[in-house]
Amino acid sequence: MKRLAFLVPVGVAAWLLPYGLGGYSMHVVAVAIIFAILAVGLGLTMGVAGQINLAQVAFFGVGAYTVAILCTRAGFGFWSAAVLALLVSVVFGVLVGIPALRMQSHYLGIVTLGLALAFTNWVTNATVAGRAEGISDIPVPVLFGLELSSAYLFYYVELVVFALALAFALFVTHSPLGRRLRAMRDDDLAAGALGAEIPLLRMTAFVLSGVYGGLAGVLYAGLIRFVAPESFNIANMFLLLAMVIIGGRASILGCVVGALALAAVREALLDVSAYAQLGYGIVVVLVVVFAPTGLAGLPHQFRRLLRRHGSGARLRLGPFQPYEQVAHAGDGENVLEVQGVTMRFKGLVALDDVSLTVPPGQIRGVVGPNGSGKTTLFNIVSGFYTPSAGKVRLRGLDVTGARPYRLSLRGVARTFQNLRLFEDLNVRENILLGLDRTRTSWIWRYAGLPWKVFGYQRALDARADEIIARFGLADFADAVPRALPYGIQRRVETARAMAMSPSLLLLDEPAAGLNGEEVRQLAEIVRSIRDSGATVVVIEHNMGLVMSLCDRITVLASGKVIAEGTPAEVAIAPAVVQAYLGDSMAAPTETAVEEATR
Amino acid sequence: MFSRRISIAAVALLALAACAPPGQSAESGAGATGPIKIANVNAQSGQLSSLGQWEHKGVKLAIEEANKAGGINGRQIQLDLFDSQGDPTVGTNVARKISAEGYIAMLGTAESAVTLAMAPILKDAKIPNITSGQSPKLAELKSPFLFLNAPTSVTFDETLAKYLIDDKGYKKIALISNNGAYGSGEHDAFLAALKSRSVTPVADEVVTPDQKDFNSNLAKIREQGPEVLFIGAEEVQSGLIAKQSRELGIKSIFAGGAPMGTDVYADTAGLKNAEGSVVSSPYLSNEASDQIKAFAAKYKAAYNEEARMHVAKAYDGASIMIEALKQTNGEGGQKLADAIRGVKRAGLLGDYTYDANGVGIHATKIGLVKDGKVVPEVAS
Repeated sequence: MKRLAFLVPVGVAAWLLPYGLGGYSMHVVAVAIIFAILAVGLGLTMGVAGQINLAQVAFFGVGAYTVAILCTRAGFGFWSAAVLALLVSVVFGVLVGIPALRMQSHYLGIVTLGLALAFTNWVTNATVAGRAEGISDIPVPVLFGLELSSAYLFYYVELVVFALALAFALFVTHSPLGRRLRAMRDDDLAAGALGAEIPLLRMTAFVLSGVYGGLAGVLYAGLIRFVAPESFNIANMFLLLAMVIIGGRASILGCVVGALALAAVREALLDVSAYAQLGYGIVVVLVVVFAPTGLAGLPHQFRRLLRRHGSGARLRLGPFQPYEQVAHAGDGENVLEVQGVTMRFKGLVALDDVSLTVPPGQIRGVVGPNGSGKTTLFNIVSGFYTPSAGKVRLRGLDVTGARPYRLSLRGVARTFQNLRLFEDLNVRENILLGLDRTRTSWIWRYAGLPWKVFGYQRALDARADEIIARFGLADFADAVPRALPYGIQRRVETARAMAMSPSLLLLDEPAAGLNGEEVRQLAEIVRSIRDSGATVVVIEHNMGLVMSLCDRITVLASGKVIAEGTPAEVAIAPAVVQAYLGDSMAAPTETAVEEATR
Repeated sequence: MFSRRISIAAVALLALAACAPPGQSAESGAGATGPIKIANVNAQSGQLSSLGQWEHKGVKLAIEEANKAGGINGRQIQLDLFDSQGDPTVGTNVARKISAEGYIAMLGTAESAVTLAMAPILKDAKIPNITSGQSPKLAELKSPFLFLNAPTSVTFDETLAKYLIDDKGYKKIALISNNGAYGSGEHDAFLAALKSRSVTPVADEVVTPDQKDFNSNLAKIREQGPEVLFIGAEEVQSGLIAKQSRELGIKSIFAGGAPMGTDVYADTAGLKNAEGSVVSSPYLSNEASDQIKAFAAKYKAAYNEEARMHVAKAYDGASIMIEALKQTNGEGGQKLADAIRGVKRAGLLGDYTYDANGVGIHATKIGLVKDGKVVPEVAS
């Protein structure tokens, strides 16, 4: 709360601003606020959720045109038209978001750009939208019997809407939903494995985009009282993009600062408008090269420069505090049952009729030469791949082909061979993501019952503290993972997986890159996890660890199970010896399989 | 503690502020001394900037003459130029700017879409505006503060249709027009004129204002073999259409509005291709009358370039504004609007008599392009 104290004087200044401004400047400010709302919307979709959305200006247009058409053609009042316009732009947001379910990054950018062009094309040609001449004579909005014809009065309406929109955007970004959106931006596969419903989250991002675009459009129609295709063209989309990039795309407040700053620059360049576009272009290039995090990132960059000179206290990894021992529920049902699973990648057989049964409370090792299909097996069990044949059962329930988030919510947690921590989220946030077990359909509460979200967030925070302390990460809670040593990153990923309170934990080469002491600690952690009631399956190359840790071992080679048994039995099985020492090097396809399974 | 002190201060300030609503004190409209401020709004950048620059020169010429002759009853006129960028939204910003900064009248813009966007704001601010736009929609607004310095497209195209169909008896007519504000106005007006004569066009192609290659549209038109091709587009685009038509072997007569009477059109199309184009315009050439000849000479002396219709109508509009200002003694608002409506002037484009919709000229003439110049067609 204290961090937001600086908003108070800003708010007061904004409230008093009209007393110091002339009529025209007031109008410029009123337009700038509309762009700030748009920028906040774009910041949410693009900066926070990572969805490249070049159709924001079309959402803006949809809002403005809907108000204009309903008011002038259908005789609606301004405010009832405004509500409908908001709905229409949300619907439009959903439609534009559908391609995002299939494609990402620059492909998504091209598709949304195409849809934005289609919109301007349509309004230029449709008679109902007034064609190239646009629609003028939108009635003056009346609020509580007061005609909002002057920019002064309209400014106050805008200010209230803007404050609410900004507060909601900040609330969303700092809530569990915002954390999931940021996780999706950084790594959608890992986010899915942590229980984030990726398709729904992407749609949520576009719906938010539609809401903010529509809101800005409604205000625009009420302020300018005229709409024409030129106002929603690609040049304005670029301006909007420049606002977000200059301000700092990952920071909502940065987007606002960028929007206001660029609106002021645009006003200053009004007399040389022919070159203004060139100017924006140069500024954007400079910002992207020298301050990739935008204006909002500058204080942080400076702070880091300063800190480099001062020497902080050395941070230490604390000891792991073991879980309390829990007796395993003795219903005897197998936690994981893999039955006859085959996985083909375009003629390459990565797994061939693999069967595996893991009873509760076991630590199962899966070993085998490189390219034997171990990670493919994990990817199938955690829902990343759907097997070509065969079945996967969790406690007797068939989960073959279920999406990762569903499996995650059913208690399957995993770590990744080459670490998939969310790089731009700190350690605490990484762990909070694991703790958040809500379905995305829970999000209606963000609009309806925001205080419930605060309560939930507080409960999560308390549990995150507990986990951070248990894994000895207290010193690193606020650091971003990439700044940490590799061994600690491994520990963070294990902690994140355990935050999900899984019944089945899949560890993919947890000892890779660890030193001897760290491997010893790892064994201790894994045993304690088993004692806490979870079942563990671990892929590992470190034979010393596997032999001492695992209750039973399954050996894979060339996609087939060649041996299974206790460590002692497996170590002397002839097939295993041959696989490790014999002609495993001679099979050239195996590297290809390993590649394919990554 | 700190933030609490601030919120107390904020509440106190708010309480103070509540006594005086924000806003500017009203401008004193008819200050008896000082210059009279008139705004000229036109595109100085963007696609249609040449149009805007001609308009500005015409306006400037008229105002400078008036100032030299002693201004408005002794007061000088201050003419300031604003760039609309041809963008209606920028236009609305400029409209607010000129009403906030105390301009009492506005001349321009040359783009109907921009004027249409500005009109409601100027009407609220009671600022009379003489525009160079000619979209019929301008007249449909029926704003008492909006006046046109030229006929609307309806007049242009009605005269053209009358000549082509009633006088010459052509029946196979094709249309090509752009979907910008000017092009679609021309398209609708000419189509309406055809309809009233029960003529259905053999082809009706619509292009975009920034299109440069019309081969696919023209190929469709060629199949119909029309006698006349009506072109509803700005100067350069009209020229390109004419040129590409001839290259495709279309033999039709070209017909259109004022843009086709310009040297830009003839140069773009090529003199040979433009030959014989039928133009409907109130201002056919710089030699049409003694009054026009004198104006053209004056213009050439001032800017060292040939006069044209855009210059002439801007000059006419500014002259009307000056005449009206003399009657109101420099006062603006409703009084100035009424004075403009009352002005009867034999201008360069014809005789101005304003009707209730703000249209001053109600007739155009037919000319033919010969050697890149428009020659009046003697009524048959």
